[in-house]
Amino acid sequence: MTAIVLIVAAFLLLLPFVYESRNLLILLTQVFVFSIFAMSYDLLLGFTGIVSFGHAMFFGIGAYSMGIFMKRFEPTLGYFLLAVLTTIVITGFVSFLVGLLTLRLKSHFYAMLTLSLSGLFLVLAEKWRTLTYGNDGFTFRVPELFIDRTNFYLLCMVVMVAVFLILKRFTNSPLGRVLQAIRENEQRTESLGFHVLHYKIAASVMSGVLAGIAGILYAISLRFVNTSVFAMDITLDALLMTIIGGVGTLVGAIIGAGLIEFAHHWLTELAKEHWIFERWIIFFGIIYILVVMFFPRGIVGTLSSISWKRKKQHSAKKEGKLAG
Amino acid sequence: MKGLLELNDVETFIGQYHILQGISIEVKKGEVTVLLGRNGAGKTTTLRTIMGLNPASKGSVAFKGEPIHSLPTYTIANKGIGYVPEDQGIFAGLTVEENMKVAIQKENEETAKRMDWILNLFPDLKKFWKKPGGLLSGGQKQMLSIARAYINENELLLIDEPSKGLAPIVVEKVMDSILQMKDQTTIVLVEQNFMMASTIGDCFYIIDDGRTISHGTMKQLKEDEGMKRKYLGIA
Amino acid sequence: MDLIMNLTLNGLATGMLIFLLAAGLTLIFGLMDVLNFAHGGLFAWGAYSGLWIYAKTDSFVIGIVGAILTGFLLGIIIERWIIKPVYGNHVQQILITLGLMLVLSEMLKVIWGPNQLTASPPDYLKGSWEVGGVIIIKYRIFIILVGFLIFAGVQFLLKKTKIGLVVRAGVMNKEMVQALGINIQKVFMFVFMIGAGMAALGGVLLGPYSGVIHAGMGMEFAILAFIVVVIGGMGNFKGSVLAAILVGLSGSFMAYYVPDLSLAVNMLLMAIVLIIRPQGLFGAKG
Repeated sequence: MTAIVLIVAAFLLLLPFVYESRNLLILLTQVFVFSIFAMSYDLLLGFTGIVSFGHAMFFGIGAYSMGIFMKRFEPTLGYFLLAVLTTIVITGFVSFLVGLLTLRLKSHFYAMLTLSLSGLFLVLAEKWRTLTYGNDGFTFRVPELFIDRTNFYLLCMVVMVAVFLILKRFTNSPLGRVLQAIRENEQRTESLGFHVLHYKIAASVMSGVLAGIAGILYAISLRFVNTSVFAMDITLDALLMTIIGGVGTLVGAIIGAGLIEFAHHWLTELAKEHWIFERWIIFFGIIYILVVMFFPRGIVGTLSSISWKRKKQHSAKKEGKLAG
Repeated sequence: MKGLLELNDVETFIGQYHILQGISIEVKKGEVTVLLGRNGAGKTTTLRTIMGLNPASKGSVAFKGEPIHSLPTYTIANKGIGYVPEDQGIFAGLTVEENMKVAIQKENEETAKRMDWILNLFPDLKKFWKKPGGLLSGGQKQMLSIARAYINENELLLIDEPSKGLAPIVVEKVMDSILQMKDQTTIVLVEQNFMMASTIGDCFYIIDDGRTISHGTMKQLKEDEGMKRKYLGIA
Repeated sequence: MDLIMNLTLNGLATGMLIFLLAAGLTLIFGLMDVLNFAHGGLFAWGAYSGLWIYAKTDSFVIGIVGAILTGFLLGIIIERWIIKPVYGNHVQQILITLGLMLVLSEMLKVIWGPNQLTASPPDYLKGSWEVGGVIIIKYRIFIILVGFLIFAGVQFLLKKTKIGLVVRAGVMNKEMVQALGINIQKVFMFVFMIGAGMAALGGVLLGPYSGVIHAGMGMEFAILAFIVVVIGGMGNFKGSVLAAILVGLSGSFMAYYVPDLSLAVNMLLMAIVLIIRPQGLFGAKG
């Protein structure tokens, strides 16, 4: 397993130097960005059992913060860092507030409030024209360092790996264990003396900030931002990626992101052949429903439970032999 | 004669907890069968398993000779089993009248007759006919719950700890009403109050750690001091 | 005066449309503990199917009936095949209904094309009356009347019929309802069907009111409906109508005076309700 990961990592790392395809590079950059986004979603859904329907909000905040700083001020590293800081502050604050308001209530409320709040941000981005240029959005220049596609590709990859490692560490930490206990049985965790609300809010903030960072990278990769970053589609992407890949696994979020981004790309190509592929999202919707119903653990979860069963059978056989 | 209700080696899980680990009970028609045992022994779960609210994972439950353990709760109820849960299960926002109406399956003369009879037995219910069930006193709630289980022509009533939390004088009243119902229907009663149990019960089962460990007639139990001390904590 | 009257009627009409959507949401939530994120999809389906039938038959009434029947049918299918298999698992339910929303609105685009369609009321509902210098648009009054009629009808159903009694009892204690010999699954299906029908009705009424319909309208209205459900109290039917009127009116007046803030005000209202009264503004549950 580790070997596969290392091979894939080495392959991805060397790819831009051996294979000169701008399109593939951009596509992979998108996969990295959405992997970060989907992992931040997985922290909520897979590790804490919180459903957010407004994750696009944090993504959009990141994208707009970066866009606005780059457009209004100079596209320098200093302002870049300032935009990152702004994103962290705003996403942190919003996710803290949403968590504080709804996480003591039934799980529906968080879903509902995030859904409506992200709708609000969408309207805000449309209406606050002096800042956002409305619906059409705006293009902007990026710091010199990021202009080179290969550099940016590597940056996104590094950030993705870093986020993966941080989240892996985080979910395996005592704090992460409490979160998983909350997912399994909230009341029991509370009665064990853990202040469940604090932990849930912590997860909410962490997830919001990481989603904001994904939004930042997304904006830089496009050098353009418009209201679509706040759209429901972005949240749905995160949902599809996490669910289809496998919740609560992190790796699943990355695989899901790759799958959906590549499928999106190919199906858009196919749309030239037949119009039905323009509605590619419908296939994913159906697959998503089937996955939720029949494979609630997604690709990674289902595969690992199969291989686990095999191992178990295998070792059982071994034991049988030994006993015999 | 075969029992009206028979539980044969029933096992039930709630979540991952193995609550019932072997319950065998035979309820004879026309008798009051009392389930005794300490808190958490599995008495309430036994009733819930009969009703299909916590379905049995092993063993069988038969009512009038027909297996019912894999039927949904509402079908079991419609076979003729009335249920008075531990918390009475009153619909708090509905009036006494509406609580009764939810239960009534057929609006006919027989139901009207039963309604008259039960309201005579519990005149309080008539008095608070239009009052929300949630505002009734504990005893009145118990009466309403019993009335609701009785109103359909049920051959069997399962009553879970009717004396729980009630003042002694109210307990007497409830007990008295159960005694009066005795000639019309068969009753399975969960009861911690041994005085009450021994007055109205015909036979008993003692449940401990999810198993039926002893049974017999109430008379036998009354005379068996050792058993009483060991399982019921009374001398 | 003219302005205030118009804004009020406009707010009431919008409120009634939101109510038709929110009523089903809140009833389904109260009884089944399911927050149906696909409810907006049913709303949009009502609009498309109803207006399609209206165009084919040239009868608005048949269009409305068709929309409601479409809602009933979709409601039954969804409850039976999508919701029921994951009953009791909150997270799975929330996730699955959102996926359903996606599929429902994409299906609309597949069948009727991705572009928005125009709609207008039938001749007898076009135009306006002039009462004492105030111009009253007929179609708005029509929506308000239908809304009140549906409210009264559902209220009657809940208060005066056996099935309504069972629904109210089920909201309070599902287990006991079953122990009294009632098949709660059938009640679930019934309520889901009614809720879906109301949403579809709301959709078909919205078409001629706003002039255009598009696949995204379901989500737009669903967001308002969620706000209404929270403000009115989850599972509180009467609360939903009051909250819908409140949200409709505040939307209408704000849209006139401070247009950019109209959604924000409703959101703020919802946030305040979540902080101080998560059970809703209008009394206890039930």
